[in-house]
Amino acid sequence: MSSKPKHAQDAATARRDFLRKSGAVAAVASLPAFYIGSAAAQETLKIGMVLAKQGPFALQGGDLTAGMQLAFNEAAGKVLGRPAELVWADEPNPQGAVQNITKLIEEQKVIAVIGGTSSATSLAMGAVAQRARIPFITPNAAAREITGKDCNPFMFRMPATVPVYAKAMAPHLLALGKKWYFIAGAFAFGEDVISTFSEIVNAAGGTVVGVDRAPVGTTDYSSFVLKARAAKPDVVISGAANVEPLLKQFKQLGLTGRIALAGPAVSDTDLWSASPEALTGVYGKTWYYNDPNNSPQEKAFVRAYIAKEGRPPSDRVFFGWHAMRLLLAAMQNANSAEPLRITKALEELKLDDGGLPLSFRKSDHQLLRRLVVASARANPADKWDILDVKTTRPANAQALDEMYGSQAEVGCKMAPL
Amino acid sequence: MTEILLTQLANGLALGFIYVLVAVGLSIIFGMLGLVNFAHGAFFALSAYVALALFPHVGWSAVLLAPALVALAGMALERLLFRRAYDKEPLFGLILSFAVALLIEALIRVTWGSANRDFPAPGWLDGVLEWGPILLTHYRLAVVVVTIAALLMLWAFLEFTPYGRIVRAGARDPEMVGLLGHNLRRVFTGVFGLGTFMAGMAGVLAAPLWTVTPTMSESAIMPAFVTVTIGGLGSLSGAVVAGLMVGIVTALTVQFWPDASAAAMYVLMAVVLLLRPRGLFGARWERFE
Repeated sequence: MSSKPKHAQDAATARRDFLRKSGAVAAVASLPAFYIGSAAAQETLKIGMVLAKQGPFALQGGDLTAGMQLAFNEAAGKVLGRPAELVWADEPNPQGAVQNITKLIEEQKVIAVIGGTSSATSLAMGAVAQRARIPFITPNAAAREITGKDCNPFMFRMPATVPVYAKAMAPHLLALGKKWYFIAGAFAFGEDVISTFSEIVNAAGGTVVGVDRAPVGTTDYSSFVLKARAAKPDVVISGAANVEPLLKQFKQLGLTGRIALAGPAVSDTDLWSASPEALTGVYGKTWYYNDPNNSPQEKAFVRAYIAKEGRPPSDRVFFGWHAMRLLLAAMQNANSAEPLRITKALEELKLDDGGLPLSFRKSDHQLLRRLVVASARANPADKWDILDVKTTRPANAQALDEMYGSQAEVGCKMAPL
Repeated sequence: MTEILLTQLANGLALGFIYVLVAVGLSIIFGMLGLVNFAHGAFFALSAYVALALFPHVGWSAVLLAPALVALAGMALERLLFRRAYDKEPLFGLILSFAVALLIEALIRVTWGSANRDFPAPGWLDGVLEWGPILLTHYRLAVVVVTIAALLMLWAFLEFTPYGRIVRAGARDPEMVGLLGHNLRRVFTGVFGLGTFMAGMAGVLAAPLWTVTPTMSESAIMPAFVTVTIGGLGSLSGAVVAGLMVGIVTALTVQFWPDASAAAMYVLMAVVLLLRPRGLFGARWERFE
């Protein structure tokens, strides 16, 4: 079929044409960032955001960005009385994240960056921030290393780590039974869940009746759930990236309500995407929109978001909003657009969280904040309000500090600024 | 132990039937058009979303309507784009279909958002069947029955209708079929639609088992390529046998070595190709030699 020279010529032209066009598309796609906010003026201050726009983290990246935009708008788009803008770049993978944060720092001259939907991209970007001496806040990453052995003076982390969740959840889970089964994702978070929660059940005199690591990208969990069913555990602990497929299989195999399900760091969007009849389980979370313990500012934020979007904010929207608020507050305290001063101000920052102090711990730059342990309502009447919060606030600042582990447990040796 | 093994086997079989359905469509398109269609998985995902969107309006007929609409979209794309790839080197079709796959995924994100969507199985299929030591959900059993029915219909169409004969002949020697006076272009479009319809059906059937996400195509397209390779390129019976093998091997690996369950099918493929480079049922086809 390919013996005619004309065909070959056509093919060559088409190929050149294709290459030319795809080149143009690639050039547009590889622009480092798109702009939110007003046109750049000479004295405009820029804050960088490196958050997923595509791939499996796109949903979380979008929610985080929406929250940041909201907090930025609450400040009327101004920082230190000067016009400011947010610059959003993508983080397709750790290498891409490093390239983009470097571009933001070198070309856009951002004075601070919030970014890292995943632990892998956060760790990679934290190292760049340290070299460039720019404050970097990661709003969504749970890996221990970030505030552990890879901690650095320019990196600040907001969510709790798995051991903190485990401590908060332990009494609720042990009350359900002492035979635990693990279905975890075969990645860092899953391993963390398996080792941390195993220690807890073993220390309480219980047993681990099975451990499964599901490869990343597993969509059909039925074989795993069948295996768990045969092991007859009291509780199945999920360390999967998304708990919804497990809920689905529990429902289909008639296990909903018969074997308890639990998981740390479970997001609202996962639970909201499950069908109401499938809802069950005890979950560790950083925040829940209808938690009676929420501070007045948080309640105002929820009202504002519902008014704007017609649905309550997910925990990721809150993370974004909260991260931006903390950064803006630190800039205000620093009274300077100098990255080093902002970093120092972040370290010194102390806000009031409804009677408890809210601050980054100096020794490891972990945000100290209470956690939420909640149980899912069976067949909730409201499609959004699906959790009953079981936890109350820690008694005082010291109790809060203890929740997050001692310096020896965390393992961070913070370098001087 | 036997109990859980038989249950896993039955469960894997149901999973395998989904793979068979995707792979058969892929195989028909490859066999007839010589196109390595990377967009096949995207049609699979698109159909699940279309069914989800149609369901509130038309009820359960969405299950057939969605694959039909997706097949129409596939045929339009074949006329517009894919047809230009037939007389070019295979890489061109591969890149083109890959681009279409990315485009469809992006369109899904723009239209329906990135969030996971819930697609519950019909209420009357809730529950499990316990047959001796074997446990299978009613829904999975329904998937097996529907897939077998669809495959039988496809087989009868290809074997006993004049259209089927043209398609089979066209797969072997398209130029000859053209010389015999058949409008090959129209046949090609039809075949592409048929293959896409199969992908669409698989997407609708898989939706209640998996989670409906823009990336769900990835979970279908790789097993489908593996299935087609194991079964032998272009062989329908090969795709059926290989799809079931992939499903069962994956499910049994979860039982014994869960960490390796994603890699199991590739090992199976490597072993089959080592022993029989043409795949299980791969015939010597003049077109590809």
